[in-house]
Amino acid sequence: MLHTTTTNSVNRGHALAIVLFLIGALLAAPSIARADAPANDPMAVVKDGVNEALPILRDKQTPTPVRQQKLREIVARSFDFSEMARSALGYHWRQISPDQQQEFTKVFSTFIENSYLAKINEFTSGEVRFLSVRNDGPQYAIVKTSVLMAGKDPIDLDFRLLDKNGQWKVYDVTVDAISIIANYRNQFNRVMNNKGYATLIADLKSKEAALAASMGT
Amino acid sequence: MSTRRLKRVEKASTTLSRFVSRAMLAASVIAVAAFAHPAFAQDLAPLSANPSKQGAVVKQAEQTPPGEDQGVYSDPLAPFNESMFTFNLKLDDWVLRPVATGYAAIAPLPVRQSVGRFFDNVNVIPRFANNLFQLRMPEAGTEVARFGINTVLGLGFFDPAETWFGLKEHPDDFGLTLRYYGVPSGPYLMLPFFGPSTVTDTVGMVVDAAMNPMTYLTYIADVPWYVPTAVGAGTRIADAVNYRSEHLDMFEEADRYAVDLYGAVQDAYLQTRDHKVKELKESD
Repeated sequence: MLHTTTTNSVNRGHALAIVLFLIGALLAAPSIARADAPANDPMAVVKDGVNEALPILRDKQTPTPVRQQKLREIVARSFDFSEMARSALGYHWRQISPDQQQEFTKVFSTFIENSYLAKINEFTSGEVRFLSVRNDGPQYAIVKTSVLMAGKDPIDLDFRLLDKNGQWKVYDVTVDAISIIANYRNQFNRVMNNKGYATLIADLKSKEAALAASMGT
Repeated sequence: MSTRRLKRVEKASTTLSRFVSRAMLAASVIAVAAFAHPAFAQDLAPLSANPSKQGAVVKQAEQTPPGEDQGVYSDPLAPFNESMFTFNLKLDDWVLRPVATGYAAIAPLPVRQSVGRFFDNVNVIPRFANNLFQLRMPEAGTEVARFGINTVLGLGFFDPAETWFGLKEHPDDFGLTLRYYGVPSGPYLMLPFFGPSTVTDTVGMVVDAAMNPMTYLTYIADVPWYVPTAVGAGTRIADAVNYRSEHLDMFEEADRYAVDLYGAVQDAYLQTRDHKVKELKESD
C-alpha cells in the first residue's frame, strides 16, 4: 500500500514534469526558432551593430582614431558598400567599365565611411530605440530606429537592408526621412549627365582627400 | 463725426471686398495658367518612370532595390535654378552669413532661440488655416491654443504650451494642402532670397503670405502701401538672419559631404516635402 502510493506519486510527479516540460517547450519554441537563424533577421543585424557601436561612441577617453578603427570593423561587417555604390550611380552604373565600377566602389565606400566617422564626436550621449522592422519586397527590409540625444529633437534613423545569400546587410541609411544614397544618386546623376565620369571620380577623390585630411587619418 | 466715421468704415469695407474679389479673380487666372502650362504637367517623376522624356533608356536590372529610382529628378528649369542657386549662395556669403555671425556674437544662443520662437508664434495663421483646410480639427485647435498660451504666458518668446501642456506644433502650409489634395508638385524651382521650392510650393507660399493681416493694412486704414511691404520684408529678413545665426555652419557642413551641392540641396528639399505629404496622407 505504502509502496503503491509512493509509485503513484512518483508517476504523478513524472507526468507533471513532462506536462510542464511540454508547455515550456511550446512557449519557448518561437524563441528557439529565432535563435537558430540570427543571420536571417534584419532587426538582429541592426541591433547587434548599434549595440556594439554605442559604447565606442560614448567612450570619450580612448583616442578618436582608435575608436574610428573599431567602428570601421563593425561597419565593414554589416554594410554592403558595393551595393551602395551601385545603387548611388543608378543607371549610369551600367554605362561605365568594370574597372571604373571597381574604382568608383572603392572611392565612394571610403568617402561614405569617413563622412560618418568624421562626425562621431558630435554624438554626445544618448540612446537608440529600435522601433520596427518591415519587409520591403522579397529580399529587402527597413528597420526603423530613433536616436535620442539630450537637449536635441529625436532623429529618425532608418536602415535599409538587403538579403544577399542569406546574409542581411545595410545598403542605405535614412536620416530624418532623407535617404543618403538617394541624395548622392541625384548628385551623381547631375555630374554624370553634365560632365561625365572623369569629373565625377575626380571630384569624389578630392572631397574624400579633404575629408580624410580633416580627420587626420 | 460719427457718420463720417461710419462712411469711412463703409468705404473701407467696400474697398476691401473689391480687393478680395479682384485678388480671387487674379488667383484663379494664375492657377488656370499654371495648370494648363505643359511644364507643370510634368511632375517630378523619377527618370525610370518617364524614360522617353529624358531621352535615356532606363532598363531596370533585376533585383533592383526599392527606392532605386528615388532621387533622380527631371529639372526643366535647371538653367534658371542653377543661376538662382549661385545668387543665393553669393548673397549668403556676402550678406546673410556675415550679418548673422555679427548678430550671433552679440546675442547669446538662448536669446536667438527665443527670437526664433517669437517669429514662429506670430506665423500661426497659415498653420491654423492649412490644418483646417485639410480638416485636421484637433491640430487646428491645438494651433489656436498654442498661440493663446504662448502669447499670454510666454510672451511669444517661450513655448510653455509644449513644455507645460505638452501641446506640440503642427507645421502646415498651403503647398502641403495642395499636394494633400492631389495637385502634383510641379517642376523644382529655386527662388531668389527664399531658397528651394517647387511651382506648387511657390503658389502655396504666396497664398500663405496673403493670410498675413499686415498685407491688408493699406486697404483698411490710411497707411501708405510701402509701410506693410517694408514691415513684411523687415520681418522676413530678421527671421532669416536669426535662423542663419542658429545654423552658422549650415552650408559649410553640407558642402563637406556633397559632390554637387545643388543636387544635394534639391534632393534634400524634395525628399523632405514628399515625406511630409506622405505623412499627412497616412495620418488620415
